[in-house]
Amino acid sequence: MNHLLHRRQFLGQSVSGLSSLALASLLRDDGLLANEAPLRPQIDPARPYAPRPAHFAPRAKQVLMIFCSGALSHVDTWDYKPELFKRHNQPMPGAGNLITFQGEQGNLIKPIRDFKPRGQSGKMISDLLPNLAELADDMCFIHSMTAKSNTHGPAENQMGTGFILDGFPSCGAWVSYALGSENQNLPAFVAIPDPRGVPQIGPRHWSSAFLPAAFQGTAFNAQKPIPNLATPAQFSPAAEQATRDLLRRLNDAHLERNPGDSDLAARISAYELAARMQLAAAEISDLRGESAATRTLYGTEDSNSNKAGFAKNCLMARRLLEQGVRFVQLFNGSYAMGEGVGNWDGHKTIHQQYAVHAPILDQPCAALLRDLKARGMLRDTLVAFVTEFGRMPTFQKGANGRDHNPKGFTVWLMGAGVKPATSHGATDEFGYQAVEKVSTIYDLHATLLHLLGLNHERLSFYNNGIERRLTDVHGHVLKDIVA
Amino acid sequence: MKIPNPCFIALALSHLPLQALDFEREVRATFNQRCVSCHGPDKQRGDLRLDAKSFAFKGGSEGPVIVPGQSAKSALLARITSSDPDLRMPPKGERLSPAQVKAMAAWIDAGASWPENAQDRALASDPRLQHWAWKPIQRPAQGRSIDDFLQRELNSAGLQMNPPTDSRTLLRRLHFSITGLPPSPEQVADFTVAQKARVIDELLASPRFGEKWARHWLDVVRFAESDGFEMNRARANAWPYRDYVIEAFNADKPYNRFVREQLAGDALGADAATGFLVGGAKDRVGSKDPVLTANQRADELHDMVSTTAATFLGVTLNCARCHDHKFDPIPTTDYYGVLAAFQGVQHGERLWREKLADKAAPPLAQPSLRPAIGPGPNEENFVPQLARFLRFTITASSGSQPCIDELEVYNKGGANVARQARVKVSGTFEDGRHSKHRMEFINDGRYGNDRSWISKEPGRGWIEMEFTQPQELVRVIFSRDRSGSGGQRFKDRLVTGYRVEVSADRKQWKQVASEAGRSKTSIEGPQVYAGTFQTPGPTRRNHRGDPTQPREEVAPSALSRIGRPMTLAANSSEQQRRLALADWIVSSDNPLTARVIVNRLWHHYFGCGLVDTPSDFGFNGGRPSHPQLLDFLASELMQNGWSLKHIHRLILNSRAFAQGSQWKAEAATRDSQSRLLWRFPPRRLEAEALRDSMLSSSGLLDLKMGGPGFDLFEPNENYVKVYVTKAQYGPAEYRRMVYQSKPRTMLDDFFGAFDCPDAGQPQPKRTSSTTPLQALNLLNSRFALDQAAALAKRIETEVGKAPKAQIQRAFALLYQRAARADEMAACEPLLAAHGLPLLTRALYNSNEFIRLD
Repeated sequence: MNHLLHRRQFLGQSVSGLSSLALASLLRDDGLLANEAPLRPQIDPARPYAPRPAHFAPRAKQVLMIFCSGALSHVDTWDYKPELFKRHNQPMPGAGNLITFQGEQGNLIKPIRDFKPRGQSGKMISDLLPNLAELADDMCFIHSMTAKSNTHGPAENQMGTGFILDGFPSCGAWVSYALGSENQNLPAFVAIPDPRGVPQIGPRHWSSAFLPAAFQGTAFNAQKPIPNLATPAQFSPAAEQATRDLLRRLNDAHLERNPGDSDLAARISAYELAARMQLAAAEISDLRGESAATRTLYGTEDSNSNKAGFAKNCLMARRLLEQGVRFVQLFNGSYAMGEGVGNWDGHKTIHQQYAVHAPILDQPCAALLRDLKARGMLRDTLVAFVTEFGRMPTFQKGANGRDHNPKGFTVWLMGAGVKPATSHGATDEFGYQAVEKVSTIYDLHATLLHLLGLNHERLSFYNNGIERRLTDVHGHVLKDIVA
Repeated sequence: MKIPNPCFIALALSHLPLQALDFEREVRATFNQRCVSCHGPDKQRGDLRLDAKSFAFKGGSEGPVIVPGQSAKSALLARITSSDPDLRMPPKGERLSPAQVKAMAAWIDAGASWPENAQDRALASDPRLQHWAWKPIQRPAQGRSIDDFLQRELNSAGLQMNPPTDSRTLLRRLHFSITGLPPSPEQVADFTVAQKARVIDELLASPRFGEKWARHWLDVVRFAESDGFEMNRARANAWPYRDYVIEAFNADKPYNRFVREQLAGDALGADAATGFLVGGAKDRVGSKDPVLTANQRADELHDMVSTTAATFLGVTLNCARCHDHKFDPIPTTDYYGVLAAFQGVQHGERLWREKLADKAAPPLAQPSLRPAIGPGPNEENFVPQLARFLRFTITASSGSQPCIDELEVYNKGGANVARQARVKVSGTFEDGRHSKHRMEFINDGRYGNDRSWISKEPGRGWIEMEFTQPQELVRVIFSRDRSGSGGQRFKDRLVTGYRVEVSADRKQWKQVASEAGRSKTSIEGPQVYAGTFQTPGPTRRNHRGDPTQPREEVAPSALSRIGRPMTLAANSSEQQRRLALADWIVSSDNPLTARVIVNRLWHHYFGCGLVDTPSDFGFNGGRPSHPQLLDFLASELMQNGWSLKHIHRLILNSRAFAQGSQWKAEAATRDSQSRLLWRFPPRRLEAEALRDSMLSSSGLLDLKMGGPGFDLFEPNENYVKVYVTKAQYGPAEYRRMVYQSKPRTMLDDFFGAFDCPDAGQPQPKRTSSTTPLQALNLLNSRFALDQAAALAKRIETEVGKAPKAQIQRAFALLYQRAARADEMAACEPLLAAHGLPLLTRALYNSNEFIRLD
């Protein structure tokens, strides 16, 4: 049993000379690193989602992470490269016999849509996502992002959990572990899978891995509610109330016979929280109270069922954030069901594939962001729009699509704590690799935690011999983009 | 100011009176203030330390820096006086003052006398070697039982153990702790404390014991039955490893044997045991990118190295992949030395020889032979050959015309140069216009029968390749069908005899490899996902852990500074490497292996190990709460033939285990986590025990042992497997949870909420959290409702319709005790108004049901 969730320890009683980890005592003995020692939040097992203080004053209180599964092409969307138009169908200089994920490269190919200046900033963005493009003045682009793997699984692992290997806690799990939540009737961390299915690494995106299960993301969307949320229909409200009353009586009597063991009290309160969650979570998914105008803005009644489904998910995301849920992960694109069919993996026929995917994402997602802004929610909410890596500026040899490219791609942030209308870093003239202010996913995560008032080098959890962090032993806060 | 050259200083200062020098004030103080931050305990730039005498005189990577009596020849002085900013020390901040430089030179010229202080003495040898866990196990002279050692610590803390617990609680505790299942009401009724020792023996002899304790082991070794990463396809034949562990624990296989078999079971008649080696994740997404491929392989080997070290040794060898271990005396060459032992291990299935109908056919152990040719990748490594041509001549097949789906030829740089080569063949099998079997598929980079080549002639044929330019060739890999995930689809038409020859000019040919030395084992028969073994190429240290930056060659080794060095002949086979490592791990003078395993057992009995970091006994791990007790148990293990059941018995028969779990405010203020064991620490049942005891009480539990597991997820054949929890379980899923076919990183909706490890990473210690989702699952899931209904039905069958009798029976089955009057009064109205299944549903949700105390 892990000591972290021991209320006995939480209550702060002395552990005599048997301190658990030598590191702490080592640091103490050496009288150094007092400000680098691991910081582990103190968690009351009876209220694992109780709000907990940040390490320092936060700029953002909540996070909305929008994840485009399959690798959304940066050169066709956010990263304008005039050279690609000029050198359309010419070999990429210096590419030689470049071998990428699927093999040999053909010529440079111009973006699949034209670019236009947007907003007051005049940022050049393509017509692929026209509604999102209109929000350019609120976006803070990181054009120099890099990933450690050029394979979807490990790369999604890295964007989701910081590690390319399986088995590490997701970003949202770390954040809810550190900060708890502002709403005690809903999970601290909610993942909203795409209507077409879960993303490529599935639940690993919201896994707590070796963190306590309390910090697992709870996955539900407009199509599929929280498993086992509803009281089965065969039980009348009276029967349900009688059950809960009996349970409470038995548990209270049992607690009386076992004084001092507050794990028991924690479990009693978990049942109370569960009852409140049944109501609160059902309300989140009930979109009937939203105005017709709002529903139209998002596109929830669109004739394209995937778009309507994603629109409902976007609306749910806003409702969750409104309720104070700490971390909301919204997925666009699903697992692979054929190359580029369910997600942004446009290897062979990118024109046709992106023509399918772009409308599903664009209007609903833009509506969500406008809505958040209109309601003043971007003051406290940090939005991160990410994907696992970028795509090549060339087409694959013998194909009409772009291969994986982890050497340079774009993610963007919006809202609490970040500079609007900003572009950080750059790729080379073709969008092939990051050359200016090269950034890593570690940096992105470090920045995310920083904006939440967390020191990424100190927020940790001990497992299997190592004090683990979201950013492993890496990461620098991207100070340039912090407002 | 112009800095004089060192010779000048030496001359100028040589007349200084010796007594004027105060070493501590004028030399050591300078070292400590200006040098030690880079040449001390934290950093050792240039491998030099100046914080203690032994280090300072040893010098750095460029040799000694102090030559006593000769400041002019001492690099130290040259560096502090150098005018070259790249050489000058200290590199940052102000220069040393002329007075400091003078003092330094005078000190050297006077013979560099360095009076030792406490720090010099302490650092005379590597202080990291003084860590408790690296010292030999010493059986304590005093103390004959677990309770003796515990009592001593309790006494000095002024604490007392609780009185013995009651017989019902004790029997429940024994059953859950040993078998993971509750006792029956009848067993509780018959039990008296006097029968304790006999009951312990009976439970340890029960097959349920191995099932319960195997689960703990499987957590430690990250065992799962799927590949992980985004494909995450099932490994249909990984289950034999689980059965192997269960059987080993039940049979009380000596722990040293258990360790050896998991590392080299192929040599010891235990094929399934090496499922340990390949129990981790495997990225099946192949790629044309050689850097990606090299990284994938490096990660696979990393998993084997780190899991082996953590599991058996409690050592974080994984920390030494990129640099020397920051805290423990483990140089990075140790990491690559251990890696060399696994260099020939590949993920995949092989023949499960113990299960062959005719066991006599292939000899079980063939340590001298290389692995038989299989349908998957077959590798031949050879010393680098500069050549422009390669010829692969087939001399025999397993039947009819031989087939090859891919022939890869690697150069020294790790590139598959076959991809660009010009290919000729002896002749191609014709089967119509749209043949799946064509010459150009030999080197198209795509695997599988659908893109393969078949020779025109039965049992023979040849392939010749011409490379675009001369290459330094080192390796050939050929296969029949590599398209399957884990297994292979096509196993016929195997090449069984071949020659590999190379040539610079296509005139003079040199043979570099053939099937000679390979085992003739038939590939027909039951398969087990326990790895395949290939002749390893050289192992190199990767600079900063980067496989694209290989450096010097590293020989197979164990840890070089802990225990005795491992010995291994230079020409040892792949298998002998693993055997040697295994033998080193279980040798009696290894201080870690026995300590680590007895601590794991302790951890599961008392909720916390004597060392509370069960897979890290290093400097950053916990210190043992009872060091002598740990050594007592470790030596008991070794002195009793490495019998784990002996240790189980010692713990189970202790007073500490049988005491009550009552909380005492006074004791809690001194030892809040009860690590001194003033009480038996109560806890929530783990997911498996919870599920199993629901099934056990409802009467639906199926105790069928062994074989392939049951699936908690809907069948799914998408090539990237999608895991959807089954909506309803039936009898097929009513086996013990250890037999769940465990997918990696995929937890089912119900029990996944109860802190089940997901096998993405090893998890030697589970968390135990309390969440509202657990409550919802236990209240509303189909599984819980089905169990509540089955339990209600069982009760009615057993005691009829009388409400009081039903309530008593429910309490007996779930809590193994009678209902009190107040409980009876509370239950009766619910039963009367809403029926028995609602009552059993409520009781399944009670704290008492889910708690072990």
